[in-house]
Amino acid sequence: MMETERVFSLRNVWFTASVGAVIGIAAVAALIGFIWIPLEQSNKTVAGLWDAICTAAGVPESFRQVQQSAAPIAGPSNVIVSAQMMKPADGLSIGRGAALAPQCTMCHGVRGMSHADAPNLAGQHDAAIYKQLRDFKSGHRTSAIMGALVAGLGDQDMRDLAAYFAGLPRGPEATAADARHEAPVIVRNGSPMRNIAGCTSCHGGIDIKTGSPRLDGESESYLRAQLLAFATGARHNDIYGQMRNVARQMTPEEIDTTARFFAGR
Amino acid sequence: MGIVALLVGMMAYMSLHWASMPPSRIETIDPATLHIAGEFVEANLGSGVEPNGSVTVRVVGNRYSFTPQCLLVPTDTPVTFRATSADVVHGFNIAKTNVNVMLVPGYIATFKTKFKEPADLEMPCHEFCGVGHATMWAHVKVVDKAEFEKQAGGKRRVSCVK
Ligand code: HEC
Ligand code: HEC
Ligand SMILES: [Cu+2]
Repeated sequence: MMETERVFSLRNVWFTASVGAVIGIAAVAALIGFIWIPLEQSNKTVAGLWDAICTAAGVPESFRQVQQSAAPIAGPSNVIVSAQMMKPADGLSIGRGAALAPQCTMCHGVRGMSHADAPNLAGQHDAAIYKQLRDFKSGHRTSAIMGALVAGLGDQDMRDLAAYFAGLPRGPEATAADARHEAPVIVRNGSPMRNIAGCTSCHGGIDIKTGSPRLDGESESYLRAQLLAFATGARHNDIYGQMRNVARQMTPEEIDTTARFFAGR
Repeated sequence: MGIVALLVGMMAYMSLHWASMPPSRIETIDPATLHIAGEFVEANLGSGVEPNGSVTVRVVGNRYSFTPQCLLVPTDTPVTFRATSADVVHGFNIAKTNVNVMLVPGYIATFKTKFKEPADLEMPCHEFCGVGHATMWAHVKVVDKAEFEKQAGGKRRVSCVK
């Protein structure tokens, strides 16, 4: 006759033993994983038992006070650069910009095309114009001339001027085809081992990184002066050195070649 | 049953004695304002000596470079990397070492390690981050502990950017 003892019963020794062992291992593993290892690995910076458990479980924490050792130090710029920083241009804003523009045309040209060494503003990206104006005003980019001129401009004025000048015609923008042909290698491909990305990956041609100005058609002397200023750090308003890191690695010949190339486009 | 116990034991041993690190405590930070205030402002990046003698290296990834472009670290010293991204996901990976983390905007990645001997190491970005990704290479210079002390002496932060 078969025993009809129930399997899931506390009186079944095999059942109690195996369930007990599973619970036991789970408890030991939890102790190791949630408490011992976090405490050990963090070199005791974890604040206690509960903190150790949170660490292992991956509960987010905004960064710790003790590590906030940085004093408030002047950075490269106060502007938050993002794809959403500029609103789509509207007629009203462009109209206000046009009304302010006569203050600028003496140097930057009647239609934003300068024939002197001041940079062209016509067809420049609105984000680039706006960011440079903010940086001149806050002193993050120094220029005796521009610093004085922007002192009286408010945030909306700068947005309006950016909208107005961005809408004026320059030549056609660089295309991907330009990027493949004629351009110097450093413009197209950069130089990986020196951490130089091709200029076309930020300044247009292949991709435009928000805040990077158009370079085509600027004067050779302006372009060279800016590259040299980034290389020495005299100009340092590019966020996280994205342009200084490039210019610092360039040879003087490369600076000449690229300045001539973009000026001639 | 024995096998399960053995596996748990192995995991614990590896976590403690090999540098197989689970992600550290998740810390969040606003990537848009990183450059304006807080731990990752430009002047606070690079290597700094902590009061306990260990070295903390702070790095930001931003298309298409790491800042600083060249990291200076000593041998035989506990080194903590604290890094984040200002824009998209970048990969932080020092060739020939166990240093390998992802820099995700909004989160601070922490990694602890030690370097045994002086070396010039490469640090290519290993997460595709855009058209300039292939050129996103930083360098790591491991120097003798004494040499590091000489270069770091009295400075808040050092790097090997020339
Ligand atoms: C007296 C001449 C002069 C006037 C007037 C002037 N600018 Fe400028 N501007 C310059 C010069 C010179 C530079 C280049 C500064 C440098 O070398 O760093 C410049 C640079 C700029 C830049 C940066 C361009 C770039 O590509 O980085 C912007 C934007 C700009 N000016 C906008 C304006 C606006 C808007 C006005 C009118 C409110 C104005 N400027 C009036 C001379 C002038
Ligand atoms: C990683 C993206 C990136 C790459 C690659 C890059 N630039 Fe730039 N560049 C920028 C940004 C962003 C700015 C504007 C900096 C600021 O915010 O003031 C800039 C500014 C400049 C300026 C100043 C323009 C002006 O109107 O004031 C020049 C000149 C320049 N870059 C040339 C180059 C050249 C030449 C190359 C290729 C060898 C290059 N850049 C590669 C991002 C880049
Ligand atoms: Cu990258």
